[in-house]
Amino acid sequence: MNTKRLRTIIPLAVIGVIAVGFATHVGVGTLSAIGWQDISLLCPLGALMTMIATKTMIPRAVVSVVIAIALILLLARAFCGWICPVPVVSKIRGVFSKKTSNTDMTGTGVLPANENPLVKATVTVKSTDGSAEGAVEAVHEAAPLTAEEERALKGCAGGCSSCAEKRARLDSRHVILGGSLVSAAVFGFPVFCLICPIGLTFATIVLVMRLFAFGDVAWGVILVPALLAAEVVFFRKWCSTFCPISAFMSLLGKANRTFVPTVDDAKCRESAQGASCEVCAAVCPQGINVRHPEAGMSFSECTKCRACVEACPTRAITMPFLPKKAMAPATVVVEDEDTVAAS
Amino acid sequence: MAELEEKVPDAAQPKKEQRPVITRRALCVGLGGTAALLGLGAVRYAGSAPLVRPPGGQDEDALVSACIRCEKCYEVCPRGVIAPAHLEDGILNMRTPVMDFSANWCDWCTEENGGTPLCVASCPTEALKTGSTPETGILGLAELNQDLCLAYRLIGCRFCYDACEYEAMALDENNRPYVLNDACNGCGACESVCASLQNGSISAGATERAIVVRPLEA
Repeated sequence: MNTKRLRTIIPLAVIGVIAVGFATHVGVGTLSAIGWQDISLLCPLGALMTMIATKTMIPRAVVSVVIAIALILLLARAFCGWICPVPVVSKIRGVFSKKTSNTDMTGTGVLPANENPLVKATVTVKSTDGSAEGAVEAVHEAAPLTAEEERALKGCAGGCSSCAEKRARLDSRHVILGGSLVSAAVFGFPVFCLICPIGLTFATIVLVMRLFAFGDVAWGVILVPALLAAEVVFFRKWCSTFCPISAFMSLLGKANRTFVPTVDDAKCRESAQGASCEVCAAVCPQGINVRHPEAGMSFSECTKCRACVEACPTRAITMPFLPKKAMAPATVVVEDEDTVAAS
Repeated sequence: MAELEEKVPDAAQPKKEQRPVITRRALCVGLGGTAALLGLGAVRYAGSAPLVRPPGGQDEDALVSACIRCEKCYEVCPRGVIAPAHLEDGILNMRTPVMDFSANWCDWCTEENGGTPLCVASCPTEALKTGSTPETGILGLAELNQDLCLAYRLIGCRFCYDACEYEAMALDENNRPYVLNDACNGCGACESVCASLQNGSISAGATERAIVVRPLEA
């Protein structure tokens, strides 16, 4: 089972467990406050907003925020890729249009995998591997970086306009995160909770279950799913452009050092064979370039979806729990005589 | 201008990490979203009718401020008397918890949890405050509509009187029930057993039961 399918099945399973829990009154809550009976892990944004709105420290909210921060430091935006139901809900977009993004809506998105020439090239290599060795060699040899390409890459690292937009330290989500907290302070209630697509997903399930169980007919049964559908259909890039929870995770994710995709230079087509590849960059739904991190989005956007790990034609990418020592020279403080003298 | 454009790459070369804080486009989108949230926040002042809330949620302002619509209280309620408020109750109140006494009533979980309401215990944001008991907490006040009540047609119904566990109902000289306002805590037992709506011929046109718990502030 590939992880892409798994990343659809797990959110659906989470929805299923929560729906069964609701029907049987066991008290698992929804993703807004998931837990068991009176133990709940609150949504960190909801916890912050409710504390700002009521201007009080709520013990369970503080504990929830601390735990959430620890999880984000450990896993960055893995919630977005593995648990959040919104990317799965957004698949209803397929009903309205036949275009598909390469994986889901969690990221900036690039070319669909089946239309991406870089991915196509590797797929061809894979399929012809063994049967037509000549063709493989041709592909390998025909693709060293030309001087022009190298210059183009460098120029991009210097900051051309298209990359600048991607590589700005903050984006619209972060402004909306600020707006969510400010609106909670100004109006004294968690405003964003009214339109949060995660909350609306579970509200839809609860309202539909109540409709059938108790005949509880209300406009909400139509309005809540309609609002949810409008958010994922009309705001196609909700997760990377609007979602303040995603913004919260990407801010803290800057300090994430675990499970970061790491390239093994001895295996990578580019470093080991001098061929151009870029498949990892092409498949990443977040627009991260694992081989050339400076050319794509920051690793703080990583949802740990493993698309790059699986797509790499030479299996050079791994996601180790801790970065190998050689991969993290920046964190090692060298205090030899030279540096001491220099300072 | 042409000179400037040519110089830009050279100027950018020495600074490796020249990352803008935010692009103008992202800032505009973000501010647009923030403006939408601030507009939505104005529903706070649109005015909303008070509702019959679960135990500990009687301070409307505090409840609306703290509730994140996580839906946990209606899940844990062992009697299923907590329901999400409808859109008809106001955008602000939508999905906040309200009491629904159509099939059961609230005993502050005396039977199920020894008097500690499970909804209060499970509320992660303290929107439902602790300390409410059947004696001290008042969810609302039962109101008997004599035009709809079967007993006032001299049918002899006294379901509500029999259901009340807090001695908040009495019978008059014609054995017709009435509510003792000072003793009523709004538990909803009377409303849950009221049979007036099931008698279509008598209560033609009625949309609610003859005895209904109303919020205190109404």
